[in-house]
Amino acid sequence: MLQIDVDADSCVGAGQCTLTAPDVFDQDDSGIVMLLTDDVPDTSEVREAAALCPARAIKIRE
Amino acid sequence: MNGYPGGAGQHALPADSMPTRPSPTFARWRESAALVPLGFRDGHEGLLVTRYEEAKLVLSDPRFSQQPQRMPRSDGPVEDGRPPGPLDEAGVLASSSANILGVDGAEHLRLRRAITRRFTVRSGRTHRPRIAEIVAEELENLIGAGPVADLLAHFAEPISIRVHALVLGVPDHLVDRYTACFLHGAPRQEQHDLLRAALDHRRQHPGEDVISDLLADEDLSSAEVEGLLHMLSLSGRDTVAYMISTGVVALLESPEQYGILVDDPDLVPGAVEEIVRYCTMFLTVFPRTATEAVAIGDRTIPAGTTVSVSTVSANRDERRFAEPEVLDVRRDARGHVAFGHGPHGCIGQQVARVELDEAFRALVTRLPDLRLVSTAQHEPSPLANPVATYAARPVLVTGLDR
Repeated sequence: MLQIDVDADSCVGAGQCTLTAPDVFDQDDSGIVMLLTDDVPDTSEVREAAALCPARAIKIRE
Repeated sequence: MNGYPGGAGQHALPADSMPTRPSPTFARWRESAALVPLGFRDGHEGLLVTRYEEAKLVLSDPRFSQQPQRMPRSDGPVEDGRPPGPLDEAGVLASSSANILGVDGAEHLRLRRAITRRFTVRSGRTHRPRIAEIVAEELENLIGAGPVADLLAHFAEPISIRVHALVLGVPDHLVDRYTACFLHGAPRQEQHDLLRAALDHRRQHPGEDVISDLLADEDLSSAEVEGLLHMLSLSGRDTVAYMISTGVVALLESPEQYGILVDDPDLVPGAVEEIVRYCTMFLTVFPRTATEAVAIGDRTIPAGTTVSVSTVSANRDERRFAEPEVLDVRRDARGHVAFGHGPHGCIGQQVARVELDEAFRALVTRLPDLRLVSTAQHEPSPLANPVATYAARPVLVTGLDR
């Protein structure tokens, strides 16, 4: 499992996380990031989603 | 700019770049350094970011400001794409009130969040059936224009303007005027008058669209509503038309790549990422200026330095993409910066992905024998304002018999 911090305040709603790891991330009605689960699997998609976030709003705690 | 490689002759954007064949100058600059000197039209000497990692760093670092908006010098002509003519007082106020590309931080986020909800992954999914219908209709028009037809004028441009109208919520009876204003080009006043008519209509008949959202947003002034709508009408439409038509050029230059998609259209979503990487439109995005000294790698960029990022160069960075000069629709090209990066990254990218996906899917499914006749994309052309980008150009194709 991964420890993930999501900063909704800095999210710009680009949707990269939702596109890349749709089982873990979604966008709310305003387009802002939502974490769908507390048990985030350590997958390449989740790591890619964090790397792609344009607002640096997804941080993986290593 | 002492301390950086380069020097005389490296201070203007090269004029010999073409969409599928970027200037060799970019490869030379990228090889020499991640940051090279670049001259700006106001005489300022700043920097150009040539490499991928550094491009992402600069674009997502809040210590870089969108002001002042300096434009880079070019060795070749630059076309003025701004709409001409005078504008009434309300229009001038609207333009200055919603300069979303000229503000930073909380003020930028306030304006951006007023429009994010219609550009989510889910919105793209919601619009997909209607976008597919629009693509199918325009494909018939392209076939009807044969045996040799311009894919830009008969397919890419109509799709781009109709989907823009759909997502924004331009009412059906105004779409022809909207097309005249924002595809063929019209004086500024005419554009604003048309947008006011669209706003008036949606005030009476709200829908699930950007215009209705803007009108319902109590935090926005009426000038901001009109300004944001105008900005959205000028953004992303030409980009989609460019990417559909130029993407076809790229695919037909390597016919085996087109053939791969004909044989397996399910590869199209991945191919879209590769096509936007390979055909990246922005030689530079809006330049940033360092508000304090910023360390990038082993260099320190002094406060006040303007830094332009070349997404064309970053997306061809050998450090990130193996054999970047090769179009490979099977490659995993995700992570490219063709839509920009950082808080100012393209807001419409998820809808654009759906448009591109449907357009390429329709072509490879219905027109397996499509061939390139000729295209102006094989000649260096003037760069388009306000930042240096490639422009959409005619793409003559044949093989339109089903």
